[in-house]
Amino acid sequence: MIVDDTIVFIVDDDEALREALGELLAANGVRSVPFKSAGDYIDASKPDLPACLLLDVELPDINGLELQRQIAQGDHPPIVFITGHGDIPSSVRAIKHGAVDFLTKPFSDTALLEAIHSAIVQDRETRAKRAELALLRQRYDELSPREREVLPLVVSGLLNKQAAAELGIREVTLQIHRRNVMQKMAASSLADLVRIAERLEIPIQHSRRMGGT
Amino acid sequence: MIAALHRTPSVTIPTTLALGLLASWLAGTPIGILAPFGALFLHARGYLLQSLWAGLLVAFAAAIVAALLYPGAVRETALSIAALVLVAACIGALIARDPTGHSNPAGPARRQAPGHPGAFGAVPGEAADSAIHPDDRPAIAQAAAYAFWTGVPQVMSYRLRQPDGSYCWTELRAEPGYGVSVDVDAMVSRPGDRWTVAESLGETAQAVAAAKVIESLHGKAWAFDAMGKFTYVTPAAQIAIDMALEDLNRRLDEREFIDGGEVGWMRGVHPDDVDGAASTLRHCLKTGEPWNIEYRMLRATGQYVWHRISARPTRDGEGRITGWFGTSIDIDVYKKTEAALRGREQQLELLIDTVPAMIWSMTADGHPAYLNKRIMEVTGATLDTVTAADGSLSLKKMIHPNFLDLAEKTFAKSVTTGTPYNIKYLQHRADGTYRWTETRAEALRDETGKVLRWYGVSVDIHDLITTQTELNFRKQELTRLVDLVPSHIWRLTPSGEPNFYNRRFIDFLGLDEAGLETPATEQYAAALKAAIHPEDADRLWAELKHCLLSGQPFAMRYRLRRHDGVYRWMDGRAEPLRDEDGSIIQWYGLSHDIDDQLRVEEALRESERSLRQLVETLPALIYCAAPNGEPIYRSEKLREFLGFGLGDKDEDGRTRLTGTLEAIIHPDDLPDVREKYGRSLATGSSYAMKHRLRRADGEYRWVETRTAAMRNVEGEIVQWNGICFEIEDQVRAQEALTLAQERLARAAQAASLAELSASIAHEVNQPLAAVVANSHACQRWLTSDPPNLERAQKTVERIIRDANSAADVVGRVRALFRQTAQARNPCQLDTILHEARDLMTEEATRRRMRIEVDVEAGLPPLELDQIQIQQVLVNLIRNGMEAMEPSQRRVLRIQSRRVRDLVRTEVRDTGQGLGAPEKVFEPFFSTKPNGMGMGLAISRTIIETHGGRLWAENNQDDGATFIFTLPVEATADHDR
Repeated sequence: MIVDDTIVFIVDDDEALREALGELLAANGVRSVPFKSAGDYIDASKPDLPACLLLDVELPDINGLELQRQIAQGDHPPIVFITGHGDIPSSVRAIKHGAVDFLTKPFSDTALLEAIHSAIVQDRETRAKRAELALLRQRYDELSPREREVLPLVVSGLLNKQAAAELGIREVTLQIHRRNVMQKMAASSLADLVRIAERLEIPIQHSRRMGGT
Repeated sequence: MIAALHRTPSVTIPTTLALGLLASWLAGTPIGILAPFGALFLHARGYLLQSLWAGLLVAFAAAIVAALLYPGAVRETALSIAALVLVAACIGALIARDPTGHSNPAGPARRQAPGHPGAFGAVPGEAADSAIHPDDRPAIAQAAAYAFWTGVPQVMSYRLRQPDGSYCWTELRAEPGYGVSVDVDAMVSRPGDRWTVAESLGETAQAVAAAKVIESLHGKAWAFDAMGKFTYVTPAAQIAIDMALEDLNRRLDEREFIDGGEVGWMRGVHPDDVDGAASTLRHCLKTGEPWNIEYRMLRATGQYVWHRISARPTRDGEGRITGWFGTSIDIDVYKKTEAALRGREQQLELLIDTVPAMIWSMTADGHPAYLNKRIMEVTGATLDTVTAADGSLSLKKMIHPNFLDLAEKTFAKSVTTGTPYNIKYLQHRADGTYRWTETRAEALRDETGKVLRWYGVSVDIHDLITTQTELNFRKQELTRLVDLVPSHIWRLTPSGEPNFYNRRFIDFLGLDEAGLETPATEQYAAALKAAIHPEDADRLWAELKHCLLSGQPFAMRYRLRRHDGVYRWMDGRAEPLRDEDGSIIQWYGLSHDIDDQLRVEEALRESERSLRQLVETLPALIYCAAPNGEPIYRSEKLREFLGFGLGDKDEDGRTRLTGTLEAIIHPDDLPDVREKYGRSLATGSSYAMKHRLRRADGEYRWVETRTAAMRNVEGEIVQWNGICFEIEDQVRAQEALTLAQERLARAAQAASLAELSASIAHEVNQPLAAVVANSHACQRWLTSDPPNLERAQKTVERIIRDANSAADVVGRVRALFRQTAQARNPCQLDTILHEARDLMTEEATRRRMRIEVDVEAGLPPLELDQIQIQQVLVNLIRNGMEAMEPSQRRVLRIQSRRVRDLVRTEVRDTGQGLGAPEKVFEPFFSTKPNGMGMGLAISRTIIETHGGRLWAENNQDDGATFIFTLPVEATADHDR
């Protein structure tokens, strides 16, 4: 499971442990970068790779759980907590806030490596989803204003006629717009377009039933 | 001149005639004609006079005839002419009436009022032509003129024509002023007057001859023989005294005159003078000495007249007296004049002596000449005392030494230059005192300006001077007073113009001293106007005007600008001075500078106001009490709090203090408050206490009251001031705080063991985690293909290092416990027990458990670490409580007893009991879900380090008992 295009960030105040973890990961073919405090980690420039954050709960500047809360807003690698004396409330809280695992020192290499692996997989998926969504957004941005009006009506399941009436245009015109939308959004079918719209969180404005009334 | 006029009638008549005609023509009446008629009559004599009378008679007759014959205007004219003629005749009759034409022998002696000089001219002048013998006229006229012009008395003898045409000698004596007149009737010779001459002159022929010589010279002479028998007397004299020679020589008794007998002539001598005259004559007759005597002779008229009689003897060849001749001079007028003069002089002297002034005179060269009686009386000086040896003036005894020099200089200067002098000095008085005197002296000069005499007058001005001095002094005093009074004093005219400011006011306004020369009123008014503050000016003038009109006193406060430009507040007052009628003469005003006072007052008011406000608004309850404790003031907040005011709880028979205390203090606190407050009042010490106070709504609130005495400078208590904080919230907060602190302490102490164990775990786990991770890495390096020995080797080194590090941690923990052994002190175990119990009480209450502590009395102090033993206790207590959680009976009993040289302490719970009593002391053994399993292990370590033992036993009934012992004499086991 040697993965070259991944990286692990180690944040622990104990130098011996940082070295040991780095050694262990290196022995398993995983690249790692050590940080001795949360501040160092925040300030450092980090490579844009699928990654995992190995975070000690007890840190000299701010608590590991606090750091998790702080970075929760932005895009960050999944976290694996390690602690000297873990208590239940802390671990529950950490997992609740999206930590991949909560390891108590001393921990076995398998537990660590599994946790790191799952975290990297999770990160990789997250990154792919993020990239796809970005592409969809880019496409959506290329739509003309009228097409952006047409899209929600179409994905709501309205008939062309209904959608045209809704916008006060002719059905033929609507069909042209609809074809353009399908094309621009690279949707192979209406179902595909509906899925894309969902991903883009475009609200469904009218149900067919409502339109019938 | 008049005499001259009389000598030239030829000029007079035509002149008067011309003047009369002129006057008649000018006046249009013939009255003027009367004047020349008068002149004609004055000068007409004899035939001329008669023809004048005849002419007038003819004119009168003609005028009457004409008036009778011709009627109308002619008659009127004729009648008026007749009247005029008649008047002229009357005038003529008056003028022409000859004085000698009447039988009055005293006619020519028309005695004028004495002192009327005109009489001298008129009398002889009038008589000159008609009655006076032509030979005498010039002499008479000259004498009259002389008397008239010089005022020197003249005795004139002249011959007066008698009605029968003969002349008779007449003497007229007159002198101005003295009013002496001599009747000369007796000396007028008349025919038939009897006078004789001795038939035989005998030996006296020579004397008679001499007498006749004298008679021709002096008019009166006589001669008698050596025996005093008259042989000749001038006939005029015989007539005057109406004694012929026979009468004079008639012997009146047996003796001869010379032998003391009386003779006839002695009858004619005044009785007062007769003896003197007779004896003198006898003496002279005997001795032959010339005879000179003055005596009064009886004249034929019956009057005594002074005569001076002088006689000389005639001697024959052998020197024998043959006879005497002499003359008798009438000296009556001189005698009388002398007497009058003497009287006058006496009068003058009397006048000078009685005038209430000291009068003196000096000679031209300054020698004292006269002192009046008064000056001598008053000063006690006499001419002798003021005259020096050389006759000059000596003032030493007259003048006070201080003035002597000045007086002498002034005097000497005046005498030298002749200028009048005037000095004021202290004059020596007869009674030895000195009095202020003013002396003035002026020189009397003759017509050439030469000083004849100095006349001086000295006036006592002592009272004047002293009064003046006194007045000046008073005036100065008053001025000084007015100027020095620390107020402004001023005066207004009834119309309100200032006419006086005192010095201070002038200085205040900064008025120019030199400028005061100009009319003060204007300057004062201008200065005042300029100095009044503009905001006060209208008010002030209005008030002043009102007062001036109504006469009511003026009183006002206003600002006045001082010379340096600063406005000062003044309190001005003025009242009018009225005369008897009640009308105002002046206004007298006074103004005080009250600026400082006002400022102080203002500051005081402000300070008092702010203080009161402070007291009223302070979020505290403030009160004041009298020295005896009676409330006298309560701040607004306190009134609000209590809901009643100062006097609302007053009742009969009880003091306000008692009533108040009972009403407001919580009954439980009342005895305490009374006692403490009473003690403060008695001793004067401050008072501070916390108690509950009844609020208006009936709720008792905790307050803290502090009261302290306010003392005056003598140290006596004048008032008690108190403040009352509401500390309800504070008390509550304090309670809460104490609770929190206790909890915290409890938590800290309770948690320490758990935290300690956690810390140890962390410290150990850290290197262990590294060891584990490195071991895995090493294994990985070794199992990889090919094995990475180099990295494996490096990893193993780290493993060794980290494992040692873990061992160090354990060593450090042990060292930690060992170190604490050094902090041991002798402690009372029961104190630690109670503290631990207190720490856990709240938790026990929460768990609804009870902790009982039973400590044997008199336990000895133990050498121990209080904190560690307390931790052990807390640990055991908590263990016990946790064990009792499920139980019904929840009593934790702590007992401490001395057993020989040990103190044995038991913590007995009523819980489930222990499965394996010894196992619980193993580290990390825990029956609790989240227990660390370190507490009892550490506790045992602690007790053992104190040289004691800790173990557990299950109770007979239920629960377990943890027992530890501590040695009385600590023998810490350092080797363990």
